[in-house]
Amino acid sequence: MNRKKALLTLLITLAIAWGSIGAMLLAGWAPKLGLDLQGGFAVVLVGPEGTDADTLDTAVEIMRRRIEELGSVQEPEISVQGERSIVVQLPGVDDRERALEAVGTTGEMSFRPVFGLVQVSPALTDPDGDHPENLDPVTGLSDPDDVHATIAYLPSEDGSFVYIVGPAFLTGADMKGGRAQFSGTGGLGGAGGWVVVPEFTDDGGEKFRLATGELAIYQVGSPQRRLAIVVDGVVGSAPEVAAGVSPDEGLDPNQVVITIGSSDNPQAESEDLAAILNYGALPTTFERERVESVSASLGADSLKAGLIAGLIGLALVMVYMIVYYRILGVVAMLGLTVFGSFLVGALILLGEFQGTTLTLAGVTGVVVSIGITLDSYIVYFERVKEESHAGRPLRPSIDHAYPGAFSTILKGDTVTFLAAILLWLLAVGPVKGFALTLGIATVVDVFVSYYYTRPGTWLVAHSALGDGGWFSVRGAMGKKSSQASTSVEPVEVTS
Amino acid sequence: MSVLTRMYRGETHFDFVGISKKTLIVSAALVVLSLLMLLVRPLNLSIDFTGGVIVTVENEADVDITVIRSSLADIGQAGARVQLTGEGFILIQTEALDAASQDELVQTAGGVAGVEVNEVTIDAVGPTFGAEVTRAAIQALVVFLFVVALFITWRFEWKMAVAALAALFHDLIITAGFFALAGFIVTPATVIALLTILGYSLYDTVVVFDKVNENVELMHDRYTYTEIVNTSMNQVLMRSINTSLTSLLPVGSLLFVGSFAFGAHTLREFALALFIGIAIGTFSSIFVAAPLLATWKEREEDWVVARKRAMRRRSGDGSAVIVENASAAPTVVPAMPSAPTGASGAAARAPRKRKKRR
Repeated sequence: MNRKKALLTLLITLAIAWGSIGAMLLAGWAPKLGLDLQGGFAVVLVGPEGTDADTLDTAVEIMRRRIEELGSVQEPEISVQGERSIVVQLPGVDDRERALEAVGTTGEMSFRPVFGLVQVSPALTDPDGDHPENLDPVTGLSDPDDVHATIAYLPSEDGSFVYIVGPAFLTGADMKGGRAQFSGTGGLGGAGGWVVVPEFTDDGGEKFRLATGELAIYQVGSPQRRLAIVVDGVVGSAPEVAAGVSPDEGLDPNQVVITIGSSDNPQAESEDLAAILNYGALPTTFERERVESVSASLGADSLKAGLIAGLIGLALVMVYMIVYYRILGVVAMLGLTVFGSFLVGALILLGEFQGTTLTLAGVTGVVVSIGITLDSYIVYFERVKEESHAGRPLRPSIDHAYPGAFSTILKGDTVTFLAAILLWLLAVGPVKGFALTLGIATVVDVFVSYYYTRPGTWLVAHSALGDGGWFSVRGAMGKKSSQASTSVEPVEVTS
Repeated sequence: MSVLTRMYRGETHFDFVGISKKTLIVSAALVVLSLLMLLVRPLNLSIDFTGGVIVTVENEADVDITVIRSSLADIGQAGARVQLTGEGFILIQTEALDAASQDELVQTAGGVAGVEVNEVTIDAVGPTFGAEVTRAAIQALVVFLFVVALFITWRFEWKMAVAALAALFHDLIITAGFFALAGFIVTPATVIALLTILGYSLYDTVVVFDKVNENVELMHDRYTYTEIVNTSMNQVLMRSINTSLTSLLPVGSLLFVGSFAFGAHTLREFALALFIGIAIGTFSSIFVAAPLLATWKEREEDWVVARKRAMRRRSGDGSAVIVENASAAPTVVPAMPSAPTGASGAAARAPRKRKKRR
């Protein structure tokens, strides 16, 4: 390392760290706070009379998974309340409608044969005809929809058509899951668009093959050749079985995509449908009883106390580090601002683009990570001291101690990073928030150690503060006089 | 030179492995006591795990959340979760209560909100951190421990992985035992604190073992494993002390400010779990993980040979002051010719059968 390289590395790191956080703050971005810190809103969902406890528990679990799959909302609090209600508390996210949609809709999905396609429900045009039961008197549509009814009247997505459909060939239970993806030809009229690729169970795949074979006997262009894909009583789309499909063979279930009809946000919609396919339908329908805003559960007083405590703690740490490591302590404190800038920057970005929220658990992750990054300095400085006490001259010690220290830091951070990754992947709820900040912090720590601490320490040691008495690097080594060794200190060996 | 000066200069020669013969007994006793404690007095789980009751009352008096919390604290419900809704209601969640305390809660809630008692509604509420979430967390933990064990085995060796995990369980069990003893409420935040402790404990142990491994390479043909461990511990002593101090200072101030100065009960248990856990984590990497490793490794054939050779050499030139006692550890640690990374001299002698290493 030489002066020019060290200075350049240091300046670039500082510019990126402080510049990016400064820009974000100027743009008015700040980390999004979670439910416990900032409050949010609560929705009370009520199941039908006589819903049993198991059904409610299953529903809670499905709702939790759906929300986590949305990715835009972190750490909801969902619990059963009273006899048949579920309370969902969500942080104050922007697209609350979408989150409500995810928890509130049953998500029952079915593939059905189309018997006919009309403008207005036959129940309205021909009141005396033979119609299915459970029709809404105003719209003439089936409500609630029973997927196994021999005939049902269901609206199209935009409400302009009414599909007359038969009993389900297969339902959500025949599917293992689905994933949303952008397809070059998946949209309306062959244009690019968002689609959901469903994954069938073995049974479901066979049912799908038979169903499409059955439909393939109808003429191309006939409504009966279409397959209605119904979600929660609405026909999402009704693609026609392609010309040339043999009635004996049907369609290959591995080559199916579900297109998303006209929508303001087809990506969100396809993701939501995929979430529904992945976690199944709610075991019963829930009425949304009320939506209301709720305050932070931790309370402003606790938050304030926590912040004050954090600042006091940080001040104590600062005093200790500077008294113990002198100028090197100052290097560490400056490094803490670099570390903090990167960490907070990452949290802000995640908040902006992923809707990730910071809860008490996440804040703990931050506090813990401060300990981890300080340890990286201590490991390094103690090694420098050790080298120096073994008789190595001051400046070579600085260089020589780094590789070993970095190796230790890397191992320690790897263990913590592993922990964070696994917790993130496997756990749910608050544990996830904690894992996220901790994981980011270990990566930042390694980065800061290499691109800030190393050049920063080198520069300080080669400046007037390297050798100048009590506060200098030499002072921190516990060596009073620099007379004896400066005279014999060899020419710098660059590494 | 005083002990402190020597510590500062990194020139201490404490016989950690020797001392640990006594501390290991204390550790084992604490672990057993904690386990018994957990059996006798199970952990006091918060409403997030167990569910409880929720009281809803209109906030007629328009009181502040702090006021509500302090009147709840007066009837022994300091741990209650209080929220205000945008529609002017107060929500209070507590653990399941007996009839008398439930009446008391309803009366207090009505009183503080300024409404009649019959306008207060009370309802059962299920857990938010229910069985499924707990199961997922435990699964994550088990997989994590397995992967960490693999990692340590890969970077170091499997005996170190076992020693590190032993220290880890030591920390977790004692912290949990303390919670059972004190009867503190375990919240999801406490679970996070335990995970933190887990991270600290492992991190600390990895740092110590890294040093041991490095010293094994430099010193293996002159010293016994126990001596190498002791030397390593002395070398990392100041790091351990400084790291735990700098970690404990913020947590300590959280504990102090959070619980005494501002009455923020929510933070107290959390900070306490962290404080105890970090302190024990530092202790265990020095007094549990490393001594266990040393005792275990001393039984390996290579190290038995190394020990004999070291003893022979020392009795030959008479320069060292080793006193062999009944146990494996010498009571005096030789003054190490501080041999930093890669310094020449340590490997002058022809090496014996080399250990596998990276």
